[in-house]
Amino acid sequence: MAALAPVPSSRLAALTRLRCAVFQTSYNPTSARTGAKYLRARLRGPSMVEYYPKELTVAKFNRLCLGQWKIVDTTEETRLADVEAKKKRGKGAPKKAKTKGDSRRSHRKR
Amino acid sequence: MPNARVLRDIKARNLVKANEITRRAYLYVARNQSLPPQVRYQAQLQLNTFGKYTRPTTVKNRCTVSGRGRGIMSEFGLCRFQFRLKALAGEIPGVQKASW
Repeated sequence: MAALAPVPSSRLAALTRLRCAVFQTSYNPTSARTGAKYLRARLRGPSMVEYYPKELTVAKFNRLCLGQWKIVDTTEETRLADVEAKKKRGKGAPKKAKTKGDSRRSHRKR
Repeated sequence: MPNARVLRDIKARNLVKANEITRRAYLYVARNQSLPPQVRYQAQLQLNTFGKYTRPTTVKNRCTVSGRGRGIMSEFGLCRFQFRLKALAGEIPGVQKASW
């Protein structure tokens, strides 16, 4: 069996170029980044959005009806009533700070 | 009502979907070595102006029932405890408790 002679690199390059032409791929001998993979990849957003099951809440239903019908949200009304009762007893949320010095964080001990 | 972390995740998912095509276009320009460096740099600067929740990596699969972030079985979208509860109740097709 005769020993194979080493193939010159120019011949190999020509072969690769010809192969690219035949199979319609881009000839890129230096492996330069073309960014094509960002265009080729499928979009992931559409399937991402469908992960959680769609949930219809009372507030969402009222928004969809555009004021034509309205369901009374008892839990939300109870919550608002509780907040009002707390405010009357002076237990409401603190006022928003106008300046940085007013903020509660500025008086914090380290 | 889902908890705040699930709400944040839903927000991220919607924003990723809304900005995906624009982001991909900028990514293509920024990573393309055949374009002039100045153009690529400007594209990278534009990429940095997108919000935190427009990146697909901020999206995390959480439990669809309890909202738990760890121990999720991705095939079912459930955390390990909800998976156990549902499997024992026979609500997941093809899953039964092993016994031998």
